[in-house]
Amino acid sequence: MKRDRASGGWLSRLPGLILPLLLLLWWGFATGGRETLLPSPGEVFSVLIHPFTDLMATGSLSWNITVSFIRIMLGFSLAVLAGVPLGMLMGASRHVRSLLSIMVEMARPLSAIALLPLSIIIFKATTLSQFIGLGHLRYQRHMLNELQLGMIFILFWGGVFPIILGTMQGVRSVRRLHLEAAHVLGARRGFVFRHVMLPSALPDIFHGLRLGIGRCWMVIIAAEMLPGTNSGIGYLIRYSYQMSRYDIMLACLVVVAIVGAVLSKGLEALGERSLVLRSRER
Amino acid sequence: MGVAAIDVVSLSKTFRDLSGTIHALGPVSFQVNAGTFTCLLGPTGCGKTTLLRIIAGLDSPDEGHIALSPGQGTRNPVVGYVFQQGALFPWMTVRANIEFPLRAAGVERDSRAEKVQRMLEMVELEGFASSYPHQLSGGMQQRTALARSLVREPDVLLLDEPFSSLDTRTSQLLQGKLRELWQDRKTTVLFVTHNIEEAVYLAGEVLVLGHRPGRITRTQSIRLTEPRDRLSADFTGYLFNLRQTFEELI
Repeated sequence: MKRDRASGGWLSRLPGLILPLLLLLWWGFATGGRETLLPSPGEVFSVLIHPFTDLMATGSLSWNITVSFIRIMLGFSLAVLAGVPLGMLMGASRHVRSLLSIMVEMARPLSAIALLPLSIIIFKATTLSQFIGLGHLRYQRHMLNELQLGMIFILFWGGVFPIILGTMQGVRSVRRLHLEAAHVLGARRGFVFRHVMLPSALPDIFHGLRLGIGRCWMVIIAAEMLPGTNSGIGYLIRYSYQMSRYDIMLACLVVVAIVGAVLSKGLEALGERSLVLRSRER
Repeated sequence: MGVAAIDVVSLSKTFRDLSGTIHALGPVSFQVNAGTFTCLLGPTGCGKTTLLRIIAGLDSPDEGHIALSPGQGTRNPVVGYVFQQGALFPWMTVRANIEFPLRAAGVERDSRAEKVQRMLEMVELEGFASSYPHQLSGGMQQRTALARSLVREPDVLLLDEPFSSLDTRTSQLLQGKLRELWQDRKTTVLFVTHNIEEAVYLAGEVLVLGHRPGRITRTQSIRLTEPRDRLSADFTGYLFNLRQTFEELI
């Protein structure tokens, strides 16, 4: 099969690096050779190249990223598990849509930060280890202790709406001709749902997933404001700011930007095939 | 007379488009006997596609009713339908497209593979089983669509101008292919077209559908020596004869 896009491999991506490099250059000039409030690229870089060094007793950079990553993946996975089926139902059935759309539209503008107090009231500081009955882990440095239900809820909230709306949009734009074809070929509703609507909506679903995971990375900062949090990249950004360690703070921002971009690009690549197949129809 | 496989009884349908024009169909009544090849011939806009869609259950009539029967027995007939534009699923390979109706019907994997293979051979697309529809020519796409509609061995096959968007040569090749298939299987076929030559080449019986409101204005049996020759005197005789009827309609 012919490669339709992305020809030229990684070389074609080089122009995308021009602007980041210019930014870096400008940053270097602006901070070089004098006393500035913000650290120079070199200072930030030296934080980045020591990912396993403990930072202000919060654990290493890599530990904090891992913690945030797992939190995001939990919240995002729940958002996918709820958002895709819900979006499909809302796209396929007028009744479900009229039942849920007002609810969704009301819930959507409530930002994750606005939900922070509510989340504290509901979930308190319960961690996943307590929730699944492993409370005795409390005094160890264990990943499960870092996963608070409230955070997962906030991340879920941040990610779920783009996924619902993307999926709904995808299902609603399934071509009538394909539905009719499936009908005359003897397919029943459930089968059409799985084998026609879902694959047909896939490009829009992936678009929703990309927006969703992007939102999760934004929301992690809010999620890690929950009391009792002492790890994670969002926590580290806030804490290093309070400690005036701007080198660590900027290093964290760089890492969030890179990881976020990689995840989004990864989802784009996964969805690319379905998009190409759909757009090539004639 | 044989058994009626398609029985259309005083069917009518009225609808208006965005510009407020009213299109009306019928009341139309006719029967198609089991195992025959019938062409529904009519000018553009006479409602022949609507009629076929109602028979297939894609639209509902305002009045009248349809009865489909498998010819023998009393089970529910299997119906095949081919759209004007293939309507293939672009995210599925040719093989997966043909397999779709079998999977929908819950046929087992081994039996599916065997049937799909037979269909691929029949429409001569074995070499393209793993291609996607967009990689195929228009003729190949319609062959895939034909194979997909035939894979369940339908009792009744409905076709809506399936070759009208193809060039003349490809279209004639596929007409020959379809007629061969029909002679092999004796499936009941109802074929909608606005092309008189296509109708004369394919059909055992031609039903001419008139303009607004659409109704059957003429029924013409076609008796020709097989294989049918488009250049024979009898063929052109039918052609001119029907063309006259057609022009009176417009």
